[in-house]
Amino acid sequence: MTSSARTSIAALPRGHEIAPATFVLADAGVRAYLDAVGDANDYGGSVPPLAAVALGLAALQEQLYLPEGSLHTGQEVEHQQAIPLGAELTLTGRVAQRSERQGFVISVIEFEIAHAGATAIRARTTIMAPGAGA
Amino acid sequence: MSAQPAPVTRTLSQEQLHRYADASRDHNPIHVDPEFARATPFGGTIAHGMLVLATIGEMMFAACGDDWLSGGRLKVRFKAPARPGDTVAASATPSGERAWSVQCANERGEVLIEGRASIGGGS
Repeated sequence: MTSSARTSIAALPRGHEIAPATFVLADAGVRAYLDAVGDANDYGGSVPPLAAVALGLAALQEQLYLPEGSLHTGQEVEHQQAIPLGAELTLTGRVAQRSERQGFVISVIEFEIAHAGATAIRARTTIMAPGAGA
Repeated sequence: MSAQPAPVTRTLSQEQLHRYADASRDHNPIHVDPEFARATPFGGTIAHGMLVLATIGEMMFAACGDDWLSGGRLKVRFKAPARPGDTVAASATPSGERAWSVQCANERGEVLIEGRASIGGGS
């Protein structure tokens, strides 16, 4: 999907709801993640929470794009329950906060990742993106 | 289970940034296109913040096990970028009952990420 088919995060108003998205973190994907980050821990059939958050952020970026010069400035994660490998995950989210400062738009995207109908992860991601006039 | 988290140290490479981009599906050119990145204020590629943050996740799971997977909380700010060639070290200092101040710093002592981790609503 090209950026022109998506909306810039800087243009989204506070309260904007992200359309639900589904994704699966199967064994191969988790192994690729662990290899990439260099983590040798044995998660025993569960998904490392930050792998789920990283893939959740990828799912978000299928609906919105980060303009050149955007920065990921903050991250909060709450792990409510372990996610089993191969689970189908559903992401829902919204723009929880939006402010402007010195030509940049600061957006806080709040999202939940659920499986089997229960929230597994709650997360808040802060992105600073150049505004239209920057 | 919840021991004092042991530091995790890792030296980043451009090849690792490419592998992380594939695994996370984040191919932002600031991370994977050296020519593009040279023309930005960073002057070169920088690591994905979530890649550097993964060292803190690794450290906390190693110390807390399954308690981290269901009950862990992490709140951080990304303060400075890491670059290929940097050696980054995640560390934790106790700050309450099942709670720690966490950070990730490079070999020059610059703090790249700082924040707080806790288990089960730790104080």
